[in-house]
Amino acid sequence: MRVQKIVLNRVEGDVNLKLCWDQNGKISDAYVVAYNYRGFERILQGKDLLDALVINPRICGICGHAHLMATVNAIENLYKNSSIDIEITEKAKLIKQITLCSEIVQNHLKWFYLFVIPDFLNFFPSLETEKFKPFVGEKWKKALKFSSEIVKVIAIFGGQWPHTSYAIPGGITSEPLKTDIVDALSIVDRLIKYVEEEIFGMSYEDYLNVKDLEEFLSKSKGGDLTTFIDFCVKTGLDKEGQSYEHFITVSTVYPCINEGVIKKKKCKLNLKKIKEVKDFNILYNKETGYTYANGVRYDGLPMQTGPLARRLTSETELFLNLYRLYKDSYLVRVWARVDEILRILINMKDWLLKINVNEKSYIKPKDYKKLYGEAFGYVEASRGSLIHKVKVEKGVIKSYNIITPTMWNLGSRCNKFKSPAEKAVLGLEDPLKAQMVLRSFDVCSVCLTH
Amino acid sequence: MKNLVWIQGLTCNGNSHSFLSINDTMLDVFLSNINILYHPMLTSEMEFKDVYKLLLSGKESLNFLVVEGAVNTKKDEVFFQGFDVFEILNNLKDKSDYILAVGNCACYGNFPALYNENVKGLQYRFKDKGGFLGEDFKTKSGYPIINITGCPAHPEWIVRTILSLNFGYDIKLDNLNRPKDFYMYLAHDGCIRNEYFEWKVEAHEFGTKEGCLFYELGCRGPLTHSPCNKILWNEKSSKTRSGMPCIGCTEFDFPLRSKYFETKTNIGIPEEVPLGVTKRAYIMLSGVAKTFTNQRLNKKLEDTD
Repeated sequence: MRVQKIVLNRVEGDVNLKLCWDQNGKISDAYVVAYNYRGFERILQGKDLLDALVINPRICGICGHAHLMATVNAIENLYKNSSIDIEITEKAKLIKQITLCSEIVQNHLKWFYLFVIPDFLNFFPSLETEKFKPFVGEKWKKALKFSSEIVKVIAIFGGQWPHTSYAIPGGITSEPLKTDIVDALSIVDRLIKYVEEEIFGMSYEDYLNVKDLEEFLSKSKGGDLTTFIDFCVKTGLDKEGQSYEHFITVSTVYPCINEGVIKKKKCKLNLKKIKEVKDFNILYNKETGYTYANGVRYDGLPMQTGPLARRLTSETELFLNLYRLYKDSYLVRVWARVDEILRILINMKDWLLKINVNEKSYIKPKDYKKLYGEAFGYVEASRGSLIHKVKVEKGVIKSYNIITPTMWNLGSRCNKFKSPAEKAVLGLEDPLKAQMVLRSFDVCSVCLTH
Repeated sequence: MKNLVWIQGLTCNGNSHSFLSINDTMLDVFLSNINILYHPMLTSEMEFKDVYKLLLSGKESLNFLVVEGAVNTKKDEVFFQGFDVFEILNNLKDKSDYILAVGNCACYGNFPALYNENVKGLQYRFKDKGGFLGEDFKTKSGYPIINITGCPAHPEWIVRTILSLNFGYDIKLDNLNRPKDFYMYLAHDGCIRNEYFEWKVEAHEFGTKEGCLFYELGCRGPLTHSPCNKILWNEKSSKTRSGMPCIGCTEFDFPLRSKYFETKTNIGIPEEVPLGVTKRAYIMLSGVAKTFTNQRLNKKLEDTD
C-alpha cells in the first residue's frame, strides 16, 4: 500500500490529506489532517459571558458572523431556560437573519469562483477557462467584487465585516434609517441580477421552477453554472465523490431552509442525539490521534451538513431529483451551494422589505450576571449546522463547547465510520480529484480545529 | 513587478478575508503593481513548496512577506502548507525587503497567545518587544516588522501600506511599529456621535442613534489608535457608527481586557480617560460641559431642528 500526503491549496486554513492507495491505483483510505489548534474553548473558560460576543467571531474569519449569532442565540436561550424574560423584536430578528445570510452569500461566491473552478484549469486549459484564472480572469475578479458588495449589507447594519459584534442578547446595537434599508436593498438587487445573468443564465423565477438537470440546461442561456456542469460531466465528477447518505440541518431559516435529519428516510431532528467523538483527536489521544479535530455523530452516524443537506431536508424538488440520479456527487454538492446564493438573496430582499423601522432595535434584558445553567445556540452557517453550548454561573463562563459544520463533514473518524469527506474520496483514481471532492465540502480547517 | 508572498500562522483567516473585501479599484491597482507570488487561498498555479524553493535559492526575490496569524517560538507547533512556520520565518527573514505583520495575531499574538505561552507575534508579545524575531530585528530595507494591527486589519491599511512602499515612499512608524499615516488617528475621530461626546451626553443602552458610547457602554474610541471612522469599513460604516462600542482591537491589549461592553468607572468617573488629557482636566471639563444644556441632544435625533 502506497501512502501519499497532499497539502491542500485554496481552502480556509491549513489542511493535509493523507491518501492510501491500493494495488489497483485506487484510494483505499483517506485521512483529513488539520493542525494549528488555537484553543478557543479553553480561552473562554472563566470569561465574562458577554465577552464571548467579542471573542467568538474570531474563531473564524469567513463565518465569524455565524459564530456571533450562535453565541447570541445561546445566551438568549440561557435567559429562556432560567425563565427570565427576554424580548427580541421582529425587526432585530430580521436584521440578524439578513446579515447572517449576507455572510453565507459572500462565502459561496468566493468559494465557487476562487476555490472550486480554478481546479478545472488543470483539465481544460483554454481561453474560455482563463476567465476563471486567479488574479487575472475577469470572472474571478467579478466574483470577488460582488462578494465584497454583499458584505456591505453587514456593514450597513453591523458596522463592518469581518468581525463585528453588533448582535447582542436583546437585539442589535444599530438603529438603521429607512434609507439604510434602501441602500441594502439596492445591493441585494444588484447581486440578484448578477447571479441571474452570470451564474444561472435565466431569471430567478425560471430557475426556481427548474426540476432537473436537463431542464436546467435547456432553459439556461448559458452561465457559469452551465460551464461548471459541462466540466463535471466531461471529467466524470457528476457521479464521483459520493459519501454516506445521511444529512443534517439543525436550524430553520424560514422560508428557505428547514431543519431535519435524513438517515434512510427523512426524520425529525432530535438534538439530544448529537455526540462528539474524540478517539482520533491528538489532543485527547496521542497514540491513535491524527488530527486536532473532534468528529460528530448523530445517533451514532456520521452526517453531512451544509447546503446540500439543507436542500434535501427542505425537500427542494430540483435537488430531490438530482440526488435520485447522481446521489451526493461532487456536482450535486457544489451545485447546492451555488443554488443557495440565489435562494437566499431572494429571501433577503423580502426580509428587508418587512423591516418595521419603528420597532425597537434592542430591549435591555435583565442583568446577565444572574444567569446560571446551560444552553445551546443553533445556527445555519455557510458550511452547515453550527452549535454552541455554554455553561454559566453568575454570568461567568464555566465551559464552552463548539461544534462546527466542518467537524461534521471533515472531523476525525470513530471506530465505526470515517468522516463523510474521508468516505467521499474512496475509490477515486486521481489525487487532484480527491482534492476537488474534499473542496466540495467547503473545507475550513480554521473552524475544524478552532 | 515586486513579489509578495502571504503566509499564515495561527489565524482565523480574517485578515485574508478583510483583504479580499477591498474595493475593485484598489484591487486592480494592487494587482497591476504587485505580483502575488503566493497566497494560500488564491494561488492556483504554484504550490507553496515550489515558491519556497525559488525563494530559498534566490531565483525569485522576496519583496514583501506578509504574515497573517500568530507564530510559535517552538518548532513543530504551527504549520503552513506542510512546513513548520518556525523554519519558514527563520529562512525567509533575511531575504525579505519588508515583512508586514497583518492583524493583531501576527503583531501581538492576540487570542492564540492567551492559550499558549510560546505563541507570539512577529516582534511583540502583547506589549513586550522581542516576539518571534527579537527586539532589534530589521529587514533588508532597514524597517523593523511593520505592524498593521486590527482584528482584523482594514484592507486599505494593508494595501495602501504595501503600495506606499512599492512607490518608494518612506513610511513613519509609531512606537508599536504601526504606520503613522493610519494609526495617528483615533477611532473616535470621525465618529458621528462626537457631538454627544463633546457635551457629555451618555447613551445608557444600545439600539439608539443618540448618546456617546464612551461613558457607560465600554467604547474605546478616544483611546484606540485606528482610522476606522476615517477610512470606513466596507466603504459603508464603522462599529461606533452602527452603535457598537469600539473594542480597541488595534491595540496590543485587546484580548487582555474583559467586559467589552462596560466602562470601568471609579466614583462615576471612567478609569481611563481620552488620550492626551489628564484625569483631573477631564473631570473638570466634563463638569463644565454638563452644566450647559444643548437642547438638540436631549431629543430623538429625528426630532431635532
